[in-house]
Amino acid sequence: MNHETELKLQAYLDGELSESEATAIREMLARDPQARSVTDALEATRTILLANEPELKVPETREFYWSKIRRQIELGEEQGAVANAGQAAPAWWLRFLAPAGLLAVLIVLIALSLRAREGASPIWAMDDGHEIETPLEETSSFSFRSEAAAMTVVWVDSHRE
Amino acid sequence: MSRKLDYPSAEDKALVDASQKGDMQAFEELVARHRDKIYARAFSMMRNEEEAMDLSQEAWVKAWQRLKQFQGEASFVTWMTRIVINLCLDQLRKQKRFRAESVEQLDEESGGVERQMPVVVPNPTERLERIELRQRIDRALGQLSHEHRTALILHEFEDLEYKEIAKRMGCSIGTVMSRLFYARRKMASLLAGLKREELR
Repeated sequence: MNHETELKLQAYLDGELSESEATAIREMLARDPQARSVTDALEATRTILLANEPELKVPETREFYWSKIRRQIELGEEQGAVANAGQAAPAWWLRFLAPAGLLAVLIVLIALSLRAREGASPIWAMDDGHEIETPLEETSSFSFRSEAAAMTVVWVDSHRE
Repeated sequence: MSRKLDYPSAEDKALVDASQKGDMQAFEELVARHRDKIYARAFSMMRNEEEAMDLSQEAWVKAWQRLKQFQGEASFVTWMTRIVINLCLDQLRKQKRFRAESVEQLDEESGGVERQMPVVVPNPTERLERIELRQRIDRALGQLSHEHRTALILHEFEDLEYKEIAKRMGCSIGTVMSRLFYARRKMASLLAGLKREELR
């Protein structure tokens, strides 16, 4: 008997064959004493094992065995709590950082704007060679010059101190 | 008003429900009830008392951590047994005690001799007491290779199908069938040999 047939007989015993395959095996068992001998041996082994699974007892007292499990559980929970706290920190920082960042941008914009009004004379270039010039604060004036139109307009703010 | 659970007399399901709510005393009762079975399964796979102890305790820790995943499709002890089996399989793989072998190697290394022997039908129950028979079966299991023993345990004692065993052991269904066949034949010859010793 070849090995493939032996495995088929075993699969039949284990209920792993399709109905048509099982029928073929039943026919083989009816006419082949060697096949029956193999299945009998496999089945007897299985029966003995199933009825006599080895039993063992934990070689420690209930209290000692449990104490080690409990210690591990508690240790795991402590580590979990630390990990959770670690994960919560970035969220807290993100919550803080978002408005803080926005505030910082606003402060920078305001500072630049104040600086522009107080000291420097920023020049914003315009298209076609137009320029708006804001001279010194003391003059409180703006001038507009257009090369294309060949003209210059000066506007003096008399209300500024 | 909720009644206080009487742990020693409570059913597993009630203890599991309480454990899922964080009742560690209920969980301790479950451990006390089933620790022998879980330890025995670990020992049957590892064949080493210290490893079996460590892995069985690790299984209980994992069970506590995953208790919320237990929905009660199988019994609690079946669920626990699956956890300890997976831990043992992982450990065997880490230690490379599972070898990647071909069917031909299996023939040569462990099945070849048995295949030349006449088929032996073990019948040791006639003369052996049950406890002694179990001890002898345990010793016979200890003589199998890790691959053969694991296939046998998963099939006979855990009632897993070929497909499921193949998945857990990381091999083909054909390899599972072969391992199972040789494991059974070897067990038959070992138990028959024990019987002959007994008759002397």
